[in-house]
Amino acid sequence: MPGVFLTAIRDGVKQHRLLWLLLGLLGLFPIVTSVADLPFWNDVAMRIMILGMAAMGLNLILGFGGLVSFGHAAFIGLGAYAVGISQFHGIDSGWLHTLIALGLTGVLGLVIGFLSLRTSGLYFIMITLAFAQMLYFFFVSLEGYGGDDGMILDRAEFAPFDLYEPLRLYYLIWVSLALVSLMLMMVIQSRFGLVLQATRSNAGRVEAMGLNPLRFRITGFVLSAMIGGLAGVMFANWQEYASPAIMHWSRSGELLIIIVIGGMGTLAGPLLGAIGFLLLEEFLPEIIGHIAPQYAENWMIIFGPMLVLLVLFVRGGLMGLITSRFRGGG
Amino acid sequence: MLFLIAAGLTLVLGIMDFVFLAHGSQVMIGAYAATALTAWTGNFYLGVALAIPLTFVFGLLLETLIIRHLYHRDHMEQVLASFGLILFFNELVRIGFGPAALFSNLPPMLSGAVTIFPDAPYPVFRLVVIGVGLLAAVMIWLLVTRTRLGALVRAGASNRTMAAALGVNIALLQRFVFAIGACLAGIAGMMLGPITTVESGMGEPLLILSLVVIIIGGVGSVQGAFIAAIMVGLVDTTGRVLLPHLLRSVMDQATADGAGPALASMLVYIFMSVVLVVRPRGLFPPKG
Amino acid sequence: MAVLELQGLEKSFGALVATSAVDLTVEPGEIHALIGPNGAGKTTLISQIYGSLAPDRGRILLKGEDITRLAAHQRVRKGIGRSFQITTVLMDFTAADNAAVAVIARQDNAFGMIRPAASDDGLREAAMAVLARVGLAKRGPIKASDLSHGERRLLELGLALAAQPGLLLLDEPMAGTGPEETARMAEIIASLKGEAAILLIEHDMDAVFRLADRITVMVEGAVIATGTPAEISANAAVQEAYLGDLSLEESSSGEDGS
Repeated sequence: MPGVFLTAIRDGVKQHRLLWLLLGLLGLFPIVTSVADLPFWNDVAMRIMILGMAAMGLNLILGFGGLVSFGHAAFIGLGAYAVGISQFHGIDSGWLHTLIALGLTGVLGLVIGFLSLRTSGLYFIMITLAFAQMLYFFFVSLEGYGGDDGMILDRAEFAPFDLYEPLRLYYLIWVSLALVSLMLMMVIQSRFGLVLQATRSNAGRVEAMGLNPLRFRITGFVLSAMIGGLAGVMFANWQEYASPAIMHWSRSGELLIIIVIGGMGTLAGPLLGAIGFLLLEEFLPEIIGHIAPQYAENWMIIFGPMLVLLVLFVRGGLMGLITSRFRGGG
Repeated sequence: MLFLIAAGLTLVLGIMDFVFLAHGSQVMIGAYAATALTAWTGNFYLGVALAIPLTFVFGLLLETLIIRHLYHRDHMEQVLASFGLILFFNELVRIGFGPAALFSNLPPMLSGAVTIFPDAPYPVFRLVVIGVGLLAAVMIWLLVTRTRLGALVRAGASNRTMAAALGVNIALLQRFVFAIGACLAGIAGMMLGPITTVESGMGEPLLILSLVVIIIGGVGSVQGAFIAAIMVGLVDTTGRVLLPHLLRSVMDQATADGAGPALASMLVYIFMSVVLVVRPRGLFPPKG
Repeated sequence: MAVLELQGLEKSFGALVATSAVDLTVEPGEIHALIGPNGAGKTTLISQIYGSLAPDRGRILLKGEDITRLAAHQRVRKGIGRSFQITTVLMDFTAADNAAVAVIARQDNAFGMIRPAASDDGLREAAMAVLARVGLAKRGPIKASDLSHGERRLLELGLALAAQPGLLLLDEPMAGTGPEETARMAEIIASLKGEAAILLIEHDMDAVFRLADRITVMVEGAVIATGTPAEISANAAVQEAYLGDLSLEESSSGEDGS
């Protein structure tokens, strides 16, 4: 039965065509916005790609590794500060920033992962949150780098590209996202990916097979931290600003929401979730604004219950909906 | 103070094995209810007296409408659903009471200060808060260890199916425990109102802090929560008082004053991480 | 040299002595049954050999090498395979995927991140061989959670065998399985004779007396007797402490064939 071998892997990447389709659409999106003269939407698309990237990284340990990390925004923040602080000290090369960010998040991911993964379940959720809070307050305390207010920065020099030229930043983010997607696809389909999913299923059995589950989890944790760091570099360049707010715990929550909206443990889910989440964020206020203008700011009052309903009634997020549609249609 | 919130939360979280993050919202609702009712009745005591049953009813409602459908879901889904509730309630009070913070005024009898030590006046209300915290601690302890209800709650915690087989109405029991948790959080909110400001999202920093308390104490252990609350309070306060002094000796004053409070906030999380690294299930993990 | 040698192994939980100065050897190729009433400390003993519990005192030697301080997964690499009292397989994986993970674990390249595992024909063939070994070749595409209890026990045994262990620790492999699967399990265990040494906990006395070369009897954490099935049936201390006259006669009657 060659067709059914390694279904655990196949389930995870089942909708990978959807991911490439979404990436393709995002690649062509600037053409649409320039024809329709809606440059603002390029901005939304960039945010979608950045948050989608971070969520895809988190999904590696959350969806495939079964570890609910509630502190992932810290790595985005670290990536952003890698840009900010390097620039503050005269390092302007974006390539170097990226290298520093990846190194920093890699090392910190290793340390935090090593300490946190001694715990499990609820304790793991909380200890990852605690580390994120530590980093948050650490950057708040760094008065020299703006403290609470953060630091304003310029877009980095990604020679030979000038990010101030139109669309250069857009495609830098797009290429990064595509690379992250390719890498994750590869990792999830590999032997490592299979064993990581096995630790989610039953770590005791993996141990009884002679493998140390901790090493696979830490490796996954470091990888996802580094992807978060890369997203942070992009975030800093997009926002031209780095502040502790990037790593506030509610953003870690946001990433979890994005993953669950999209579909946990699927390759395309987080990107789909990021699209859904940010479109809601853009459109809900407008829709409310049409009905009751005075409450347009309070779009969360609709979003909150939507989230509750989603958890209660839709399993597997948007990916789940799509998959069951396909199945229903034969 | 922290203990009040933590105790309520540990009831829900530990004993019912339910990850509930909207506890901070219950704190906030308690604070708003008390403030609004005080304004409406013109009497602080009456306001609080009316607000307490209100938070209890609120807890009952929330449990019936949403929470009970989530007991058998995994942690991740519980986290998200309660996150959705936080967003909802924050906006709700923002719409209902406006975005500005409210201040609640204390009756004169409670707003004075007493002199316990010479030259160190201590606000009466803080004593009241401490008193209420201790009272709640004693009452929960009595409730859990000495009454039939407590025995049932503990039975339900260790083995839901077993307790159900014994003819205990688990659904009702859980609803009641949840409502008590909501009530405790509400009382905490009422106590908190006069000390700080009453505003949307006021419960969240406390929520995280009380989660820290629960984790340090060991999930599901009321006694652990009590001890951990004291420890966290001590770490936090000494950090806030001592750190700026320490920092001033190694750097200039402006930097030290800026960094001090933030580093002090870090201290609590460092404390928790150390505890968890050494004891992955908290200081007082419940037996079994 | 003995495959496994326990020297004065001790373990207590508070006031409860779970393992009291246990000496035990498992010889190459033998099936060594560990029996005793519930709570005698059999599973606690196996957990110490496997490495999920640390003994308070004593040494564990695997083929002469001291493994007392190694972690469980390291001991597995040295040649210990285990099935658990509560079936431990990857429930949301298919039988074939379970086997594939076991094969990957054996092959020392579990951190490979580049090549897609699904197009690896060698991996698939090896996984199918693991399933065939326990008679589950046709059940490959079925999720473990959809297998019958007995099939899951067989799958677990197959996963333990995939690492080609020198010593198998089997904790009640036949508990709760149907008669047909019990027979298949017994057949497979018997067929392993000479290939791997087996330390077997089992409550099915018929199976124990039919399969075992030697039997060790534990009561309240201590070994009270070790010997061939015939010696154990004849042992007065065992009769008094554990078997009781009636059940002994029943059990030894099942031993006629061997």
